[in-house]
Amino acid sequence: MARRGPRPTVRLVALFGATVLALSVVAGRLVQLQVVEASSFQSLGAKQRLRSLALPARRGTIFDRGMRPLALSVDARAVYADPKMVEDPEGTAGKLAPILGLDGGEIADKLRRDTRFVYLARRVDIGVASRALALRLPGVGALDETNRVYPAGRLAGQVLGFVGVDGVGLGGLEFAYEDVLRGVPGSEVVEQDPHGRPIPFGRNSARLPVPGRGVVLTIDQDLQFAAEQALGDAVVRNGARSGVAVVMDVHSGDVLSMANWPPFDPNEFQNAPDAARNRAVTDVYEPGSVNKVITAAAAIEGGLVRPSDRFPVPDHLRIADKTFHDFAPHPADVLTYGEILARSSNIGTITVALKVGPRRLQAMLERFGLGERTGVGFPGEAEGIMLSLRNWYPTSIGTIPIGQGIAVTPLQVASVYATIANDGAWVRPRLVRATVERDGRVLPLDPSERRRVVSAATAAEVRAMLVGVVERGTGRLARLPGYLVGGKTGTARKPRLDARGYSREIVTTFAGIVPADRPRFVVLVSLDNPAVRFAALTAAPAFRRIAQQALSRFGVPPTYPAVVPIAQSTAASRSAVAGSRPEDGACAGPGRCRRVRPRARTP
Amino acid sequence: MIEGAAGRVHRIGRERVGARRAGVASPIRHLDPALLLTACALTAFGALMVYSASAERLRADGLHPEMFLDRQLAFAVAGVVCMVLVATFSYRRLKAWGPVAYAALMVVLLAVLTPIGSSAAGAQRWVSFGFFQFQPSELTKLTVIVVLAIVLSERRAEPSLAEVGRCFLLVGAPAALIYLQPDLGTLLVLVAVLFGLLLVSGARARLLLVLLLAGALSFWGILHVGLLRDYQVARLTAFLDPSRDLQRTGYNLRQAEIAIGSGRITGKGLFRGSQTNLRYLPEVHTDFIFTAVGEELGLVGSGLLLGLFALLLWRGIRIAMMSKDLFGTLLAAGIVSMLAFQVFVNVGMTIGLSPITGIPLPFVSYGGSSLITTFLATGILLNVHMRRGV
Repeated sequence: MARRGPRPTVRLVALFGATVLALSVVAGRLVQLQVVEASSFQSLGAKQRLRSLALPARRGTIFDRGMRPLALSVDARAVYADPKMVEDPEGTAGKLAPILGLDGGEIADKLRRDTRFVYLARRVDIGVASRALALRLPGVGALDETNRVYPAGRLAGQVLGFVGVDGVGLGGLEFAYEDVLRGVPGSEVVEQDPHGRPIPFGRNSARLPVPGRGVVLTIDQDLQFAAEQALGDAVVRNGARSGVAVVMDVHSGDVLSMANWPPFDPNEFQNAPDAARNRAVTDVYEPGSVNKVITAAAAIEGGLVRPSDRFPVPDHLRIADKTFHDFAPHPADVLTYGEILARSSNIGTITVALKVGPRRLQAMLERFGLGERTGVGFPGEAEGIMLSLRNWYPTSIGTIPIGQGIAVTPLQVASVYATIANDGAWVRPRLVRATVERDGRVLPLDPSERRRVVSAATAAEVRAMLVGVVERGTGRLARLPGYLVGGKTGTARKPRLDARGYSREIVTTFAGIVPADRPRFVVLVSLDNPAVRFAALTAAPAFRRIAQQALSRFGVPPTYPAVVPIAQSTAASRSAVAGSRPEDGACAGPGRCRRVRPRARTP
Repeated sequence: MIEGAAGRVHRIGRERVGARRAGVASPIRHLDPALLLTACALTAFGALMVYSASAERLRADGLHPEMFLDRQLAFAVAGVVCMVLVATFSYRRLKAWGPVAYAALMVVLLAVLTPIGSSAAGAQRWVSFGFFQFQPSELTKLTVIVVLAIVLSERRAEPSLAEVGRCFLLVGAPAALIYLQPDLGTLLVLVAVLFGLLLVSGARARLLLVLLLAGALSFWGILHVGLLRDYQVARLTAFLDPSRDLQRTGYNLRQAEIAIGSGRITGKGLFRGSQTNLRYLPEVHTDFIFTAVGEELGLVGSGLLLGLFALLLWRGIRIAMMSKDLFGTLLAAGIVSMLAFQVFVNVGMTIGLSPITGIPLPFVSYGGSSLITTFLATGILLNVHMRRGV
């Protein structure tokens, strides 16, 4: 025992003590980590390990009234890269460029960015993406997404609107019906490794996306096509800047066609931001003589004037400090109110309006819905510009009855004519007639709101006067074989944008009802600044083409003798033939119209 | 003889006298089954954890999921063979072989630094034998223990300053070579072994205190003088404040803590450690094997592992106490110091108690050099125990 000098026992106990102490400290720390602070470490781990991926919901389809798809979503892929994982940016870009159809240099620039995620191509075809992935390039991946496709190309492009790159409706009905179309995106929780790559681990949980509902438009694809063709021809042939055509079902308020020119292809929405405007709803203009129909409705509804009443029509008329003229100088004459409208005499119309008075005229404008949105449900709809009665100028009783000093949208004008056609009852125009549930059921919307504006008798008398315009007056080029047509031309001067007063530019409009004896459709055509400065020559022929398409598309049988005895109209024979004597005093010959300066507030 | 044995029985309390009466001379009769079983249990535990921590990754890399398990089991068999071989001859012969082994190892350590050695991850630590890459620094620890035990057991009195100086030189020479590799972990183990042996050999308390102080000072000095590379300094100090740079130096510690903490009391189950399997931690099957234990088996599993180590170390201390001569005592004490230090630093680095250094967890971490060295050490412990009566 005593062999050992300094007995190591004590020191061994010390060594053992130190060991036990060290292990105890370790054990204590373990208890702290695994019991006391366990939950915080657990959540820290979950936070870095679990990633929530959005599962895009398929966007609902937009159908035309015959359930043909106008906008639909198809599966696509987004090709992305994690630049940190890319080993050879140039080589990778060089291989991807031909597949993605992109510039190699651009891709290489993206791959050199100091970030962990960059889109290389959005909404690419599934086949393209799988070919890109088949290269097994490090750092390149693909995500599911959907691509919005407009199979009819630019058909009704301005109405449909467009969807942004993230699948959100940004314009038109795509925007307006975002809530219906969008659906509810799902989510998937995936475990990821430190490089952010999802791991197929079996513990992923997913909430499936709910696809969006479909929308059925009132638009008829075939008629829309025909209207766009006719409108485009009219714009091009007449050298106009742009144009609008609207076809409405007068009973239901359904907009069967809403065409805008220049055309817009929502598949390439980035390319033509200006053409994307749905001018029929969002743009206002001074309607000109098409507005005389409201003056007529007010006069007849008030029992103040009969269409057969005769009025002296002098060459000019002084209202307050302004002198009004007709389109062309003429000797003082006596005309019936029907003839006044047929010739679109400004003097005659103002004479009637003076009988009606500002109060009744203003009330009638409001009852027809001018100055307020139609409520068609299109984003950015304009309400138009209308003076309130107390803001009327002394000259307003001269300008407003003939459609100057007041601004409306093309759809508002169409709606006015639809009211006349629909026996005096205004029906809210609409673009959507139904929604499509996820199970495919079609849920029709409630019929459009309606309200009485004038009596059926008044409407019938005004319609008869409109027939006179086409049969014997300025609207002859709108006549259709086999059908009775009623309508009105309008050539209005455009207000100057930079100052008070009017510019040299004009807008020509034709609004009409077919068949006038049993109204079905209202067709409106409006051309912005055609080189030929008469509605009778520009808008009326386009109206006829579109109306004809509408009648045949919906199988409306002819009801009227094909050949109209022109000689019937004695009064009209004195008016100029539509071709040589257009209407519209507000914009008469260059020398004369300068004197007509209604002091309307210009839009 | 029996008298002496009885005295030892009295000294340590619970020796089984009856077992030794029959054949005192036969070393096999003095086998320490508890030590042997503990070593085997730790090895089995380790192999299981290596499998659990590596299978998913190997599969993801398209390799055989049992690759590391198979290798570790082969290492274990080799280790057991080495242990048995070391236990067969008397440990006293190490007095003769120790210096030879020491000299040979110095040559190998030099060779490792030449192009003969192979490198990985910026360090040159290995000698390749084709199928097996041997890490001589592991064996160095054992060899240093032997030569230190020889020096310190020459006299019975407390070690003289000259002897302490010789010990420093004996540790310093291989330590310098290992520093050049660099292998900071093994270097620290050598320092711990030196301190443990000086403690047990009866060096004055004053000397030990001075050494501790000097050690602390030099550690501080090393960090600030630039003897270490930046990454080493960063790694060594990161445990003091892991949140300082969570993406780099603090990353491993934070990920290890998340793994262990999220294991809670009962763990997530074998093969189900998400931190482990999703590669949030590098090298889980080697130096960070304890994080897999903590995450997959929870406090229960890590407690069990610590318990096994406590048992092992207790048996080691007991053997040191029971040794017939000072040489055996010092051998056992050196081995205990080595193992205790490795366990503390390895487990400690995963839970923020010690700096992150490349020290494997004995028996448990994947790696042939480490496992075989540990079994060799166990063989020496068994040897000392078996020949306590001879």
